[in-house]
Amino acid sequence: MKELNPLLHSQLRLAIMSILMNVEEADFVYLKEKTESTAGNLSVQIDKLSSAGYINVEKGMTGNRPRTVCSINQEGIKAFEEYVDVLKSYLNL
Amino acid sequence: MEDKKLTEKESLEVITSMIAQTKQRYIANGNILLMWGYLIVGMTALIWTLLVLTHNPSWNWLWFLIWIIGGTATPIMAKKEQRKRGVKNYSDTLSSRIWSTVGFSAIAATAICLAMLLVKGIDAWSSMFALALIIVPFVEIAQGIIIKERSLVAGGSIGLLAGLFTMACIAGHVALYATWFMPIFIVAFIAMMIVPGHILNSKARKAK
Repeated sequence: MKELNPLLHSQLRLAIMSILMNVEEADFVYLKEKTESTAGNLSVQIDKLSSAGYINVEKGMTGNRPRTVCSINQEGIKAFEEYVDVLKSYLNL
Repeated sequence: MEDKKLTEKESLEVITSMIAQTKQRYIANGNILLMWGYLIVGMTALIWTLLVLTHNPSWNWLWFLIWIIGGTATPIMAKKEQRKRGVKNYSDTLSSRIWSTVGFSAIAATAICLAMLLVKGIDAWSSMFALALIIVPFVEIAQGIIIKERSLVAGGSIGLLAGLFTMACIAGHVALYATWFMPIFIVAFIAMMIVPGHILNSKARKAK
């Protein structure tokens, strides 16, 4: 049986990817609120997903405050779909 | 939520729970709708009063102020709203694009009417009323269906009826005199924009 992608097989990273699969883009504050995670942890996991080439991260400013906006890319969609397919086979769905 | 390893069952739970979070219905505020509503109603009332009092058709040039003010304020307000929400989903993009189509149609219609006036001396400005009362209500009904908001569908339907009546008047060569047509135009925009705008704002306040 194929192995689950270890990069996605983590609670917070999977949550981030699941959200981004359903929206066009989401900012850091929205992701933090929906995943109920700490800013530090969320930031680390976003960096990992971005380094893997699964998500695009845009850093900008809103007035005087920094704003990070994330969106999933084609590579990320493919990885997520593959993860779900493997998951289905594990759960016999 | 942490960076912990999951069982397959837990993975499925995370995915379904996050999908449910993104599907939570967002109640958009009605500020942009209210801005357009009050701007159009206010400007129409002003032009109507000036036309009735002075009988000088030059006051009609004031209509352009609606597009200038509304067209400048809308992107600023939309960007601010977007940042406040922190998320952009597919229905937001769809709504934004169909409203942009309305804007482009208005610019094109204005250019055509202006060209007809300057080149042939034909006054086709009444068609702008039909445009405002057919395309805008149509898009508003579509928006109401997308975000499941009945007040938009109801307001849009009232506007559309006024638009169909306007179109019939133009086709039947009935002159749209300011004295009776302007009040219809004002009532249509109150129903289409001001009433739904306040309903949306009230729902958004309650949802907080």
